[in-house]
Amino acid sequence: MIERALAQRVLDAALGTGGDFSELYMEDTESHSISMLNGTVENASYRRRRGAGIRVLKGEQSAYAYTAEVDAEALLETARAAAAILKGERQAQAGPFDSVRRGDYGPKLPFDAIQNRRRIALLERGTAAAQAQSSEIARVVAGYGDVDQRVLVCNSEGVWAEDRRPRTRLSFDAVAAQGEEMQTGAERPAAGKGFEAYETIDPEEAGRQAAKTAVTMLHAPQCPAGFLPVVIDGGFGGVILHEACVHSLEATSVAKGNSEFCGKLGQQIASEKVTAIDDGTLPGEWGSIRIDDEGNPARRNVLIEKGVLKGYLVDILGSRIMGMEVTGSGRRESYQYAPTSRMTNTFFAPGTDDEEEMIATMGEGLFARRMGGGSVNPLTGEFNFAVLEGYWVRDGKILTPVRGASLIGRGAEVLMAIDRIGRNMWMGYGMCGSRSGSVPTNVGQPRIRVTSMTIGGKGGKL
Amino acid sequence: MDAKQFREAAFRYAQKAGCQGAELVESRSKDFSVGVLKGEVDTYTVCRTLSLSLRVQLDGKNGYATTEAAENPEALVDAALDNARAVGSEDIHPMAGPAQYPAVTAPADALMGMGEVEKIDLCKALEAATLAQDPRVKRVSTCRVVTAEGEVHLHNTLGLEAHREERISCILVNGILEDGAEVHDGGAFRARGESLDLTGCAREAVEEAAMQFGGKPVAPGRYPILLRNDAAYSLLSAFSGMFSADAAQKGLSLLAGREGSTIASPLLTIWDDPLYSLNPMAFDDEGVPARRKKVVEEGRLLTLLHNLKTARKAGVSSTGNGGRGSGGIGVSPSNFYIQPGEGSLDSLMEKLGTGLLITELSGLHAGVNALSGEFSLLCKGQLVEGGKIARPVAYITLGGSFLELLQGVQYIGGDLRFSLPSGSCFGSPSLCLAPLAVSGQG
Repeated sequence: MIERALAQRVLDAALGTGGDFSELYMEDTESHSISMLNGTVENASYRRRRGAGIRVLKGEQSAYAYTAEVDAEALLETARAAAAILKGERQAQAGPFDSVRRGDYGPKLPFDAIQNRRRIALLERGTAAAQAQSSEIARVVAGYGDVDQRVLVCNSEGVWAEDRRPRTRLSFDAVAAQGEEMQTGAERPAAGKGFEAYETIDPEEAGRQAAKTAVTMLHAPQCPAGFLPVVIDGGFGGVILHEACVHSLEATSVAKGNSEFCGKLGQQIASEKVTAIDDGTLPGEWGSIRIDDEGNPARRNVLIEKGVLKGYLVDILGSRIMGMEVTGSGRRESYQYAPTSRMTNTFFAPGTDDEEEMIATMGEGLFARRMGGGSVNPLTGEFNFAVLEGYWVRDGKILTPVRGASLIGRGAEVLMAIDRIGRNMWMGYGMCGSRSGSVPTNVGQPRIRVTSMTIGGKGGKL
Repeated sequence: MDAKQFREAAFRYAQKAGCQGAELVESRSKDFSVGVLKGEVDTYTVCRTLSLSLRVQLDGKNGYATTEAAENPEALVDAALDNARAVGSEDIHPMAGPAQYPAVTAPADALMGMGEVEKIDLCKALEAATLAQDPRVKRVSTCRVVTAEGEVHLHNTLGLEAHREERISCILVNGILEDGAEVHDGGAFRARGESLDLTGCAREAVEEAAMQFGGKPVAPGRYPILLRNDAAYSLLSAFSGMFSADAAQKGLSLLAGREGSTIASPLLTIWDDPLYSLNPMAFDDEGVPARRKKVVEEGRLLTLLHNLKTARKAGVSSTGNGGRGSGGIGVSPSNFYIQPGEGSLDSLMEKLGTGLLITELSGLHAGVNALSGEFSLLCKGQLVEGGKIARPVAYITLGGSFLELLQGVQYIGGDLRFSLPSGSCFGSPSLCLAPLAVSGQG
């Protein structure tokens, strides 16, 4: 993307006003997307994103400048623009690149060699499977997306790191309708691979599953409200860990004292059953990165072990403020964002509890089989998320599907209230939005039980 | 190559390839943002961006391709052509020809012409004002001054040449208050003409946090609700997709086929006004002239929001709501707001008598289902008894369906307020609502 000699000049120009560290991030990213309604393609688009971002640090201060123009003059001007805020004497010089890191993950089937008709065929297969599932399926909205991101990160401390990140995703939203009422089900399989991902992703299964949820919810009564036991199924259920806990373990919040988990390293912050991991190294996963957006290798980070807080997710700036080593967690949506500490693939490690027993012994409460998205305020730990497919449990038996539920609570409380963790862990795929934009992340867990949570909704009566 | 050369080469190549039309949107922006912490510049961001967004028409189908690199226009046209060939839908999506646009006056901007040093000083003063508001303020988590200057050029082979400039400035602060074991935060912003109102912004942020101390749930049940203006525009924004004719024509909106019928309380009138003085725009993303229209009049749905494609399909004129998204041209609201009634928040509390004042809704991207119209959201607010605030309320959810909520509007305040200005901007006064379901650890 750039000659090393020019990169070094740019990094050096960025240090001209007293910065002690400079970093150049360049990317060239191509993406394709297709949208389909009821089996007919509505739109198809292509996008190329290309640009550079230059960051200068001085102690805990950070300046960032980015540009879509990447010729030598524009890069040097951008470096000077980032440096302009510091107004001091030069303290450091950019050294030679002696730490070369390559995370290159060449896709077997690169997207630029794939014809649209092959993409469309995936959507048609999933749509047909959803429509065949039930005559109550009135609409199927399907989407295909792929991204091939090539990044270069180099810095004044000699790091030269390159990564290539192919990713692709399907989405199926099935709508079940009866009279004026509509309910939806969604399934969004994804992978951090080239088009070869579809050797293992099954669009029919995704379409069918979306349709099943939609039809089940169409006939479901409103979820009752209450403060009761909740069992959350595996896979995307791990969004509870993502929202209720790990956002609050990101240096972005912790370094400035804005997290409920500040200063709690080594303390019991969760039930002894809980071990939580963020692992960016898993091959071919949607949330994986081989090299992070600050040029550091991705790692497996154990965050909580048997309930004890073991670590935070730390980026370069966070590392300076917190005095802790970086954890390969610096991420950003694109060159238009300075990096911050972010999650990759985040999950509860498998436990030893029986998946059926935890429902059979819960008394009355909610079994949240499919979860939607959520959000959290890391300062207070207050989180919320939506339940897309829920079942009401009475006397340890599933009574009926229920719709419209949401779950709220405080991270610190809910972590301590986990009393069962099942044996089989699997993951789901999401997009996580935060200060450095929207990045792909996996969430995962085995089926778990929380002794009590606030269940919201329209307050149905069963 | 410069943008003009790029455009001319792309149009030439597209026409040679058999396209009936081609259109290029060139967007540029120059943004500045500074953040202050403990009296020092903490973050500083400047940028120049460029995006070239191409649409081609081939045998009545549109294909899209966008790039940030002004090079190789032929490759971009080829990518767009591939995408046009992939389209199966028979819906025709016309391009706009040249048109007369209404004159718009750029809104006053208090930060216009201000240098970087002054903006940094302003940001420091905002932090200081926030810290000085209340002894419980420990620090700020965000304190920023942002200015953005953008320009958009829209050209197509029908001879359309449209140009608009956009300029937005704002100040934002989020203050953290501590008292004993309790910590709360609260945020506020001021935009454009109000961007110098440091004290007002700081006071509002601190009051937002201060009023949460001692908050606890209420017993689950149904409560009459007073939805404060900012919470109301957030909810309106989350459900605004229901008013899209595109969604309706695809069978993905509960408002499909409801034009002319009553969908809301007779008190409710909703405008989509691209010319609203706070955030005016002369034309939409397709180059269709802006026009002010009532979407809902006294509870009756007058129109959905159309672009050129949905309008053609419905046999009406575009409402000027063409919006360019990542996947192509869809429909987006402009300045979309509920017409104010009369009275302050205090007077609405008196009308409420006993119920809940809701001041914040969380997780709107997840807790609303725009298709079924249902929502269940974490919220904060105050218990109101006898028309007065009795105590703070937290850790509750508010659940309902959006259309029922609109039908249950009892009173509308005079305190119209808007979200941060951008392409789509949402506004509402505070609303008194018929009872909604509340859950919490009672």
